[in-house]
Order: sequence, then C-alpha cells, then structure tokens
Amino acid sequence: MTKTLFALMLAMAASAAQASDPDRLDMGWFKDQKLAMATPPQAAPQQTAQTPPSTSTSPATTERPADQLLRALVSGKVSVDEERRIGDKIAGNFLGAVKLVPNDGLQHYVNLVGRWVALQSERPDLPWRFGVVDSDDINAFAAPGGYVFVTKGLYRRLANEADLAGVLGHEIGHVIRKHQIKVMQKSKVIALAAGLLGKQIKDENQLIQNLVGNGAEIMSRSLDKEAEFEADRVGMVLAARAGYDAYALPKVLEDIGHVSDQDSRVALLFKTHPRPSDRFDRLAEAVGERLDNLPEGKSLDQRFYRLH
Amino acid sequence: MVFKKGFPLLLAACLAMPAWATEGLMLRDDTLRATASASARDLGKAVKGNKVDLLARQGGWTQIRVGGKTGWVRLLSVRGHAPAGSNNVLAGAAELTQQRDPNKVVATAGLRGLNEEDLRKAHYNAEEMQRLEGQAVTGEAARRFAAEGNLVAVKLGYLPAPKPKETTISPTGGFEF
Repeated sequence: MTKTLFALMLAMAASAAQASDPDRLDMGWFKDQKLAMATPPQAAPQQTAQTPPSTSTSPATTERPADQLLRALVSGKVSVDEERRIGDKIAGNFLGAVKLVPNDGLQHYVNLVGRWVALQSERPDLPWRFGVVDSDDINAFAAPGGYVFVTKGLYRRLANEADLAGVLGHEIGHVIRKHQIKVMQKSKVIALAAGLLGKQIKDENQLIQNLVGNGAEIMSRSLDKEAEFEADRVGMVLAARAGYDAYALPKVLEDIGHVSDQDSRVALLFKTHPRPSDRFDRLAEAVGERLDNLPEGKSLDQRFYRLH
Repeated sequence: MVFKKGFPLLLAACLAMPAWATEGLMLRDDTLRATASASARDLGKAVKGNKVDLLARQGGWTQIRVGGKTGWVRLLSVRGHAPAGSNNVLAGAAELTQQRDPNKVVATAGLRGLNEEDLRKAHYNAEEMQRLEGQAVTGEAARRFAAEGNLVAVKLGYLPAPKPKETTISPTGGFEF
C-alpha cells in the first residue's frame, strides 16, 4: 500500500514539477553532471572500476533499491554510475524516437573528435558516447554521464572539423557541468521523495523513470538560459584547448541564426534555447579581449567527414 | 502591376545571397586595426550599430570595410547579417541558402522533424544503444587521431560568465541580504 502510494505521489509530483518548471530540462538535461567527479556517495561500493566500455547495459533490468540514488540526488553527490544509469535511460529512449545514422565511418569519426574534445575537460574518463541521429532537424542533445547526439540536419551545416568540435563541446559542457542532474536535484519530485526516505521505496529503475518522465520528453524541455550560455563558453574553450579554431562555435551559431524561425527544422532548438544571436552576443561579451593571444586553431576542412 | 505581388519575393531572394555573405553589424565598439592582431596599427574606430562589409576572416579577426576604411576587428565584435527576408515565410528560402554551399545539401524529403510527441512516446531502444556502444573509442585512439591531424592541446582557462550589464548603476548604498 505504501509502495503504491509512493509511486503515485512520485508520479504526481513529477507531472506537477514538469508542468510548473517548463525550463528545467532541456538538451541541457544532460549537461549537468559536474559533480560526480570525485565524490561518489559514501553508500554502497560503487562499481566505478567496472565501467568498461563494454557496459552494453540495457536499461538496468536488475532491481536496485531507489533510496541510494534518492539520497545521492538530495545530497548532491551523485556517483558516476548513478549519473550513467540516468543518462542511459534518457539516451536509450531518445534513440527510440530517432535512430543513429547507419554509417559506421561517420559515427566513428564523430566519436574520435568528441572524445578528443572531452579529453580537454575535467571529466576525461567518463564513458563518452557520441552519435549522429537520423533527423533533418537542426539540433544537438546531451544526456548525463557522457551521451552526446548531433542531428544529421545540424551536421550537414557544418563546414569542418572545428565546427563539429564546437558543437560537441557545447554538449560536453552540459554533461561536465551536470546541468540536467542539477535540474533533477531541484525538482519537486526529489523534495517530495526525500520526505519519504526510510519508508518503503520502489526500485531505482522506477525512480529514474519518474525523474525522466515519458520517453525522451526530457529532451524537449529547456534548460536554464544561463546553462546554455555557460555551455557555449565551455564548448568554445574545450575546442580551443583541443587545438581547434575557437571561433567555430560562434560561427555555427551565426549560421543557425540565419535559418528562418518559421523553418520547422529549428522549431525545437529555438523553443528550448536562447536565440542564436543572443548566444553569439553573450559569447562575445564573455570573450572580450581574453583570446587575443590565443594561437590560431585548426579547422581541418580536409579531414572533415562529409555526408552526401 | 501584374508582377507587383511576386516582386518583393524575388527581390528578397536576390538580395539574400550577397547580403548574407558580405554584410555585418557591429555589436560593440572596436578598434579598426591594420592587420589581424591586437597590436596592429590603430586605424580608427568601428562603432556599435555600424553596418559594415565583411571582407575576410583570419583566426579571431574579421576584415571589414566601414565608412571607406578597411581594417580588422575582433571576430566577435561583428555579426553577419541574416539574409534579407529570412524572417518571412519564404518558401524555399532555406534551400536557397543551402545551395550556396555545396557541402550543405539539405534533404528536402523524408524524415519529419523531431517533435515533442515523438519524444514523449519513445521507448528504450536497446539495439541502437548497442550500436552506440560499439562506436565508442578510447582516449588513446582519440589522442592518436588528434596527432594525425596535427592538433596540439593548448592551455586555456574557462571563460568566466560576463558580468551583468549596468554594473555602473551599482547600488552604492548596498543591499544587505
């Protein structure tokens, strides 16, 4: 009885939270993961060591008590594994809505570029996964734990490897700064659930399901605008650290800004993000004269994997 | 008279091409420099709101022409204009835009856009997740790939968030929280 009640309340709280905080989640969802770096919750011995790339973990089918993740979210100390399990759910659902482009050469290339950019961050060892998804939409997404997706529609607008590095850098920024996890931590679901700690709690899968909501809906919600601006700054810096043209990201933003806001391919992007021109302006403000002495980065036009 | 209706459309389409490629708007005041460097000779000022012609790009610098002068300003000080008519529902405007760059071919048919409904109804796709896993690369592979491209890691700190504007109106009395 208590069990059912709890699940029900979670569900209700979830929908209430979603309805009232339209800008909690977004592509930014995924972005929030900065915390896990060093401090896994003191709880059960984490399988941190056992996160081989082989974790073809389908959605955790194993039952795991929910209270540990709940405590982690409440305390702000979400482990990499927990972050990963949340991200897996989101990414898996997302790929249920849109598949990967069936082109291994392309996917391999994007993983190499993305991994190299991610290596420049303070979370180089996350199990980073990059993918180009088969949609004409112009957009990119991230999920906690190191999942990053770019649509084919956006990919086709890119002119070179530096452009790609800038776009991936923005999404990597969401992940390393744990933007989505932070949103979850603020959510009313957590607050409510926290009050029930110690009572009978359903398994973790159920909790994640409630946090994530329906399918990959979470991908269509907005993050805080500041989170987007922050991800732009991080993306630009990570691409520059990786040796790429630092200005590729603002140039991509400029380009996307030229797409008519009536164009359905940018409907979701424009709904969930500040206007590209605002993002460009904010980047300009943040940069000022700071990069005057930065050596000119590479664009690598020749090596860029072109889609035909 | 007869073609009055279609004319603006045509005009917009024609203007769109060169306009995007060559016109820009100064977003802030910046010094016009003789070459693409902060230490280059000062040729004057380009002022916020100035409409300028964009001529070339080099690293973090854009060469512009403004008021008869040609020089370089920081790339982020100037933003390229949207093509004329980009805010209208000009059928084909997107395609037009695309055609200018052969690398940017847009598939006009086929997939629908990602919409909220599709995302909401999505179910976990284990098979696609397997494919994603299968494409993962190691950090070592990424480093080798970077070396092949002659990419060299650069030390650079993160950019702090810009201070909110109007800091000059500072609360001198101070608010205490």
